[in-house]
Parts: sequence; C-alpha cells; structure tokens
Amino acid sequence: MSSHREAPEISKDPVADSTDVYAFVSPDDPSTVTLIANYIPLQGPAGGPNFYAFGDDVLYEIHVDNDADAEPDVTFQFRFQTTFADPDTFLYNTGPILSLSSPNWNNRQTYSVTRVQNGRSDVLGSGLACPPCNIGPLSTPDYPALAQAAVNSLPGGIKVFAGQRAEGFYVDLGAVFDLGDLRPFENLHAQYGMNVFSKAAPGVNATAQLNVHSIAIQVPVSQLLWGSPHDKVTDQGSVIGVWTTASRQTASVWDAAERANCNSGPFHQVSRLANPLVNEVLIPLGSKDRWNTLPPSADKQFADRVTQPELAGLLPALYPGVFPNLAKLVAAGTARADLEAILLTGIPSGIVARFQNYTGPVLADMVRLNTAIAPTAKPNPLGLIGGDPAGFPNGRRVFDDVVTVELRAIAGVTVPLVDKSFTPDAAAGLVTDGLTDASVPSGYLDEFPYLGVPYSGFDTPK
Amino acid sequence: MHPQTHAERAQTSPDEAQLDHAQPGFDSEHGTVQENSRLSRRSLLRGAAGVGAVGLAAAAGAGVATAAARPASQPTMAPATKPVTVAAMPETAMAGPLVVYLRDTTTGEFDVFGGTGQVRIKNPALVSQLLKNVQLAW
Repeated sequence: MSSHREAPEISKDPVADSTDVYAFVSPDDPSTVTLIANYIPLQGPAGGPNFYAFGDDVLYEIHVDNDADAEPDVTFQFRFQTTFADPDTFLYNTGPILSLSSPNWNNRQTYSVTRVQNGRSDVLGSGLACPPCNIGPLSTPDYPALAQAAVNSLPGGIKVFAGQRAEGFYVDLGAVFDLGDLRPFENLHAQYGMNVFSKAAPGVNATAQLNVHSIAIQVPVSQLLWGSPHDKVTDQGSVIGVWTTASRQTASVWDAAERANCNSGPFHQVSRLANPLVNEVLIPLGSKDRWNTLPPSADKQFADRVTQPELAGLLPALYPGVFPNLAKLVAAGTARADLEAILLTGIPSGIVARFQNYTGPVLADMVRLNTAIAPTAKPNPLGLIGGDPAGFPNGRRVFDDVVTVELRAIAGVTVPLVDKSFTPDAAAGLVTDGLTDASVPSGYLDEFPYLGVPYSGFDTPK
Repeated sequence: MHPQTHAERAQTSPDEAQLDHAQPGFDSEHGTVQENSRLSRRSLLRGAAGVGAVGLAAAAGAGVATAAARPASQPTMAPATKPVTVAAMPETAMAGPLVVYLRDTTTGEFDVFGGTGQVRIKNPALVSQLLKNVQLAW
C-alpha cells in the first residue's frame, strides 16, 4: 500500500514496481546516511522454483537532491544480471547453499553500482553478488550469514546490499481497501447500512509474511551534501531530498527468432516513489500512470491533490460524527498547507521547535531528510508527531508507522502547525489501522541493511 | 555518431533487410501479432492502405517518384529535415538490432532505436517506400 501496486500499469510489472523508500541517518554510524528502495511487492516466500529476482532489463535508480531544486544531484544506478550455472535442471539450487560461491546455487544475480554526479558516471562496483532468496532449512540453512556476506563495500566508505528482505512496511490492507475500514474503529464505520461490525477489532498486518527486494546503500553524509559540511539543523544545506525510479528501454519487440524480447532505445521512467502513499492514496486513478513517468519537479500540477486530499473528505463520510471539525475544514475548501509542507516542500524553520527539513518552494514529492538531526536512542515510530525529529517525515526509518502518521495528518492533527485556530477532532489523534512495528514478525536489524531477514518459503505461511 | 551517417546507412539497406526488421512483431509460428501492440501488423497495414497515396505524393513532390518504385539498392532518398538525436546512439548500435517505430504513417516521421539511442527521422519518401514494400507482402 505504501506504493505496492499503486498504479494500473506498474501493477502489471512487479520487478519495476517500487514499494517503499527509506532515508535516515544510520543509527550505528551517524556519519552516514542509509538509502533504501524496495521493489517487487507482496512476495509469497514459497514462490519457487523461479524465486523472485530483480529485472535484468530494468534500470533502478536512487536519486538525491541537495540544492532544493527537486532535480537529482547524486544518482546511484543499479543494473542486474542473471546467470544459470546449469540450464539443464529446473532447480533453483541443486543442494544446500552455504556460501555466495556455492556450486549448488543455480540461478543467481549479480549487479553493478554506478554513481552519476556532475554529469559524470563512475562505476563504483560490478559483479556484486545478491544473496539467494530464503528458501528453507535445507537450501539456505544459515540465511542471515548468506545475506550478511552480500553486504558489499565500495570505494569511499560506501556499503551496498541488493536482495530479498522481509517486508518492513506494515498495513492492514484487507481492511483499508474494504471501503476505508479501520478495524479499531470499525464499529463507528457507516457500513453502508449493513451493520457488519458491532465492535472494534485489532488490526491485521497484511504484509506480515511477505517479502520484498531491497536496494540499500549507505553513503557518508559528506558525499550527499552540496558543499558540505552542513552540520547545523537550521542549515538548509543539511537537507536532502530522496526518491527512487525504475526505467525500461523505450522499444521492446518480441524477437521470434531469438525467442526473447529485443529491448532498445533510451530508458524511460515507469515507476517513481518517495513519500509513502502519495501516488497510492492522493493521486487519482486516471493520473497515476502519468505521475509515475514524471520527475518530482513536475509535481506542482498535482498540488491540489495533496492540499485537498480525497481521503480527508471520505473520513467524515465513512465515520459519521467522528470527524466534525475535519468535515467543516473540508466543506470550507481549505487548502491543507500542513500537508503541502509535509509532503511537497518540507517543514520550514519556526513551525516545529528545533526542526526543519525545508527544501524551498519547489513543490515536489521527495523524502526530505535533515542529515544534521542525530538518530534518537529510543526512537518513536510515530516520528515527528510522536516527538521524535529523527523519524518520518524527517526522512523515513524502516520501522516508522507511516500509515498512522499520514492517517492522523490527513485527519487534521497537523493542521494547527499552520492554523492555530483549528482544533483537531479528538479522533484525529487516535486514528490508526491498529498496527505497530511489533506487527512485523521478522522484526528489523540493528545494522545495515536494517530490514529483517526474509521469511523462508519452508516456514511460510505458518 | 553523426545521425546523417546513420540515415545514409539505413537507406542503403536492401528491401529484404527492411522487411526482416518488420518481422519481429509477427509471430510466424502462430500467424498472429499481439493485438495490443501499437506496432501491430493490422494497424500498420491499415495505415499503409489509408495513407500510402499520401506518402507517394510526398515522394513525387520531392522529385523521386521513380526512385520510390525502384529497389532500395538504387539511389537513395534524403531525409526531409536533418535527423534529430533524441538520445545518443553509440556506433556499436549500428550493428543492430535496430527497432523502427512508425507511429503515424501520414507524417513521414519515424524513430529508430538502437542500443540506448534514439534518432527521429522525417523522410516521407522512405516511409512511402517502406509501405510499398509492406504491400508486396499482401
């Protein structure tokens, strides 16, 4: 849901479908920033014998803007290559995979990393190994060790990992997409007169046993900032904007002689993602595919979809009497400057004490991270609205509860940031889909790449 | 790569080679073309039937009507305007495969894709010649 299958076209192209973007100051190495882009949504862990893999024909990129124009200043490109050790067997592996060089591993991927900066491309690494997918106790008996071996060091103090991870994004997809049901409040839902729910219920994490494919790169902060150092929170130069894109070549023709697609021409963008739920929830169906092809710098045309979100009008309708103040705000046609700041410009200085992640007036969907804000020792998954300035929407950590944060923001809890006269509804500060970071069975890692060990096919579903 | 060089080379290709380039969209085993493809055989033929005369007229206007009726190994037709490099095409791409996308046969404009490159060429006479070659397959 963060951006899983969020648009009609990309939902048919999972390997190019970005699902989540994370950007945070690394808690175990605050001199670095970790950037993660997830792809291939909702993977069933037992999906063999051709387990999930990145697209060899897809150009994956993570972009960083460091001068507030919503254009990429530093881009990391990732290209993958699949090889079959033995094409004469149907097996993914012919025995236990005990190392990344295991001769038993038949279907493997390697990748290259290229940095594009100042008009120059530098290949930082090539032939880098992805780990296999987590199959089970016979095939991948020590999966954490395999994955750790796939953490590669690149020149300049950069670390990189590309491979399967447990889905760290938690959301009650089943309820939310059933006409906006939030189980903890479903007795208050209008229910279209059907009276299906008589009492509240706990949330259900629809992604609890699913995997994704992650591209994670950890980079010294100084390599991402313009004219660094920028080590003061108030320094606008300390803020970066981050997003990911996936691109495919323009022409694709089925070559009947070769029995393969012939891909040709320049790459064109087919997927884009920064802040969670923007394209998913705010952009209307008829514009979602186009949004995916555009750069963040073109987002001004969608600004009204952010400042007048459809969901803000739905909440009072679906939960009658629960959001009266929000209903009045919507009825008045008030543009939501709070949402514009959170999602499109960053929050300027003077709004929240000792905080800013403003990148200037260019309206652009980017994950904005103030790199001068140190990681918190006891992070709050509600991030800034939970009093933790190191969390969403100051960047995004792997465990941040972005669904609750955005639900509450849309429900009006952040309006007083820009309009002190507005009193949020009592429910606005309570609304949630009923999940927390504890709803992720695999948990998270304390070290790079931070997302948890993927669920194995053998053990899933339980 | 200078796009003029590319255009010149493309024009000296024999007719058979051009037809071969048109083949990949056609699945000879099943005798069909993906109907959802914008390069489908049906749409190409429909376009050829509808605008072939327009293309031919353009060729005649350029004083190469007889050339359009000759095999492509004969003296070639120059593009109407200088080809535009949409994305730089590496020299190695010239070895192929190349993909030609003729979105609207009435304009005489088409795109050639090779490697990660793309060149846009306006050449109504060449389009006319191409359509006549397609008609030979009917």
